[in-house]
Formats: sequence, C-alpha cells, structure tokens
Amino acid sequence: MTMPPAQGAYTCPYCRMASDGGGGTCPACGAPVDLRLKVSDSGWVEQPPIRDLAHIRFGRSTCQVSGTYVPVAEMALHDDDWVYFSHHVLIMMRAQGPGHIAFSADAPGETLAVPLSAGRAIDVVEHRFLVATGNVAYQWQNSNIWFTTQDGDDEEWHYPLGKTIDQFAATGGNGLLLLHAPGNTFIRDLAPRQRILVQPSGLIWKDQSVRMFLHFEYPHGQYWFSSSRYQAKATWLTLEGPGRVAIQSVFERPEGSGYVRRTSGATTQQW
Amino acid sequence: MDRIECQWCKAQNETGRTNCTTCGAPLDTKDLVTDSGWAEAPRLRDMTEFRFSNSTCQIEGEIVPVAEIALAQGDSVFFEHHVMLWKEPQVPLSALNTGGGMKRMLGGMPHILSVAHGPGRVAFSRDASGEVVVLPLHPSMELDVREHAFLAGTHSLTYSFVRIQGLVNVLHGGGGMYMDRFVTQNEPGLLLLHGYGNVFQKTLQHGEKIMVEPGGFLYKDSSVTMNAVKQNVKTGLMGGHTMYLAEMTGPGRVGIQSMYVHHGSE
Repeated sequence: MTMPPAQGAYTCPYCRMASDGGGGTCPACGAPVDLRLKVSDSGWVEQPPIRDLAHIRFGRSTCQVSGTYVPVAEMALHDDDWVYFSHHVLIMMRAQGPGHIAFSADAPGETLAVPLSAGRAIDVVEHRFLVATGNVAYQWQNSNIWFTTQDGDDEEWHYPLGKTIDQFAATGGNGLLLLHAPGNTFIRDLAPRQRILVQPSGLIWKDQSVRMFLHFEYPHGQYWFSSSRYQAKATWLTLEGPGRVAIQSVFERPEGSGYVRRTSGATTQQW
Repeated sequence: MDRIECQWCKAQNETGRTNCTTCGAPLDTKDLVTDSGWAEAPRLRDMTEFRFSNSTCQIEGEIVPVAEIALAQGDSVFFEHHVMLWKEPQVPLSALNTGGGMKRMLGGMPHILSVAHGPGRVAFSRDASGEVVVLPLHPSMELDVREHAFLAGTHSLTYSFVRIQGLVNVLHGGGGMYMDRFVTQNEPGLLLLHGYGNVFQKTLQHGEKIMVEPGGFLYKDSSVTMNAVKQNVKTGLMGGHTMYLAEMTGPGRVGIQSMYVHHGSE
C-alpha cells in the first residue's frame, strides 16, 4: 500500500494524529509521510525510524531527532513548556523551558514518539521510557505478571515483564511521550478477543484496553530428564485485544526456570 | 527461457525478479567482494519474502531483523527456544532431543531444541544488531555453525553437534566446546543464522588457509578444518603477548561476522 501524497487532512498511520501532511514527516510523531507502509504478511506494521533531523511539535516547543543508530532527541523548550525524564533510577527529573536539552538511550535502536491525545493512556514496559511532556501524567503499578518456581526448599519469584509497569496518560490536552526500543519496532492493532503470544521482554507498550496474562507451553516430546520438560517450556505473554500493541525485535533471553509452582493469571498448553 | 542465477545461493530465478526465491538475496544489485576475496552476505531488503517447501519466510526490520515464517501443513522448523519472538497460539510445539545431554549441559548448549509445526506463523530474532543470513543447503551438504548462532532450520535438515577438537581450541578458540552441524540427506534444506554486525563469506581452495579472529567465526563447510594457532607478539625487549587465531584450511566456505564479544583469544 502506498501512502497518498499530502493533500489536505492527513492521518498518520502510525500515531493516528491528523495534520496537513506537509514537510515530509508527521509533526506529531516524526514518521515519514511519503514512505510505503510496511506490513508483514501476518499483520505487523513496521514502525519506520524517525527521519534524521525530523521535527516533532508539542505545545509551543519542538523536538528534533537526529542520528540513526542511537538517536538523540533534542528539545527546544518554550518557556511555557517542560518535560520530565528518568534519571537512571528512582527519581524523575524536570526540565523547564526556555532552552535546549537532549536525550538518548544506551543501545542501538529506535526512538519512538507516541503522541497521546487528551485522555488517552498507555502502559509502557519499564526501562523503555525516555522523556514525556509536562501534561502527561505518570504513575506506575505492579505489572501483576509473575510466576514462582521451586528451587530446593526455596521458592523463586520471576517477573518476565518486570515487577512494575509504567502508565502514562495525557491530561489537559495532547501530550508527547518518547520511548527508546532496541532493535526494530512493530505495531499491531488487535481486534476484540484476538490473541497473540509474544516474548514478555519484547513488549514495548500497549493500549490499556489490551489484556495481558502469562501462557506456558510445554513442547511435546521425549525428555532425558523429568526436569527437561520444565526447562523446555516457553513462557509467553498473551496479548488480547482490542487495542494497539508495540513490540521490539530484541528481547532478553528468558531465564531458565523449573517447575512452575504458582503464577499470576495464566493459561497452559501441553502439546 | 532466460534465468537469473543468485550470486549468493546459486539458485535459478525467473527474469524480472528482484529477490531470489530461495534465499531472498537481491538479484538486481552488484555482488560486493573485497579485494581479498570476502563476499559480503546480501543484506536482505526489508519485507523480503522467499520460499522453502510449501512455506514462506519474510524478513522484517534492518537493525535486528525478524524472520517471520508462515509454516504450511506438514512443514516444521527447529530452533533454540529462546529465539522465538512471537507465535500464533495454535502453532504446536514439540521438543527435539539433541542427544549428549550431560555433555551439552556442560558445554552451555541446550540439550533440547524446540520444533514449531505448521500450519501457522512463528517469528524469530536474536538479541543484538546484525543480519539474518540465509543458507540454502543442497542435498548431501554439511555445514558447521558457531554455537548459539543459528536462528532456525527447516525440518529436512539433520541436526547434530561436533566437539571442537583439542584443548587449545576449546580454551583459546573462542568458539566454545561444540559447533552445531547441519546435514542434508536427499532433499534440500534451509538454514537461517543471525550474524552479529555484518557477515562475510570466502571460499577457500584446497589447502588454502586464512586466519580469523576466533570470535568472528560464524560458519564453515565441514570440509574446512579449523585449528587454534598460537601467535607470539613481541611488545618490547622483554615483553611479549600471546594471542590465538583460528586457522581455517580449505576446501570450502568460511563465514565470519564483524561484531563479536570474545576474550578467549587474548
């Protein structure tokens, strides 16, 4: 499918924000407007990298993304605007305009601009957050994605998605959220009750309408040791629509774990 | 009827095609070969699709590419289970015992490989920047691959593993204790590897040698022998430094990757 040339109202297929489509890139998320939409046969839409030196507008300020391997988001803050960002751990820092400030992550990948229309909220996996505009409310809560395994007399706890999950909501107007994802990024709109299994650490963000829970799969086969069956299991995160999800092509290698003793809400498939 | 030969896998393609149907390599670009004879593995175009058996594989992304496979009924692929990025819920999984359970555990290799069966879709990726290398294997071929480098292999491949010979090779070779070995019998197979950084291939003549940094070794035909060779480097009147390189002796292909983390040769 080829994107139409910018004429009048243009709705970005990646962030769904309307603009006049001029300037070559979406002013809300920086995605190219003149690029062919890349959709895999199964329905994943490849998020194009923000074009080098593209501008994104928010409030009375701008953000310019430069670089392609580990992009830098450089913000020119108007004196009415402010942004906040994570300073390594525990604390959020605030930068108030006027002035310039720049952000980048520590791995090759893509900077994702997620414009949030007023009232919209999304869940973001921990450590993906780069920076957000002042009118985006932040809170975190327990991810409630966990399971335990038995190790001798000890019970080991596992959090495949991280212990907590970040939640961002636009309040009092449109906001902008910048994330960084290693590797390539793919987005998909799930229909109501449509399910897909993804590696838990491959998830970047999801609409809050998307339900998630663990799914354990035990491959069919002959095993040398009884414990092998547990080691060979696949631990998935089930995402169930309706809503949009985004995943990254890089994910952490799942840790080896034994017999699942207790779990947050989960399903199991024995093949 | 005119055909276009793929410069990477030598398969014949219909005229007018821009990508090889067997390995996805671009057909309309010039081969890139360095002055010393290393051929750059073709960078697969985003969303390139190619076929094996009755199934298709599509490569998505260019930083850490994803191989998305649409498995037809009766087809299957095997892989190390931690490389699955996503799958459709109805795709059945089974386990493939590799044999040598304890030896493989000691060598840090999985002793069970997972198998995904068609019909349905499953996608694979690794954990760092690089490229997917598609190696179609014709009948009666044997290919040795650095451990933890293969992404997926089709059901027509026979999987085994070979121990790297010699304590020096194991301790200083930088490739671990074992190599994966993929063998085709009577029908062709397809092997997907993930090379970190860029991947280059050189075909060695009989007796021809090349020294490579062991951490950069990615794959070789089984006809190529590999030995760790000690190199003494003088750093002054009294000083010296020892390093090990992998000496590859032809005949056959050698594949290397440009990015690696390796400390065994220092």
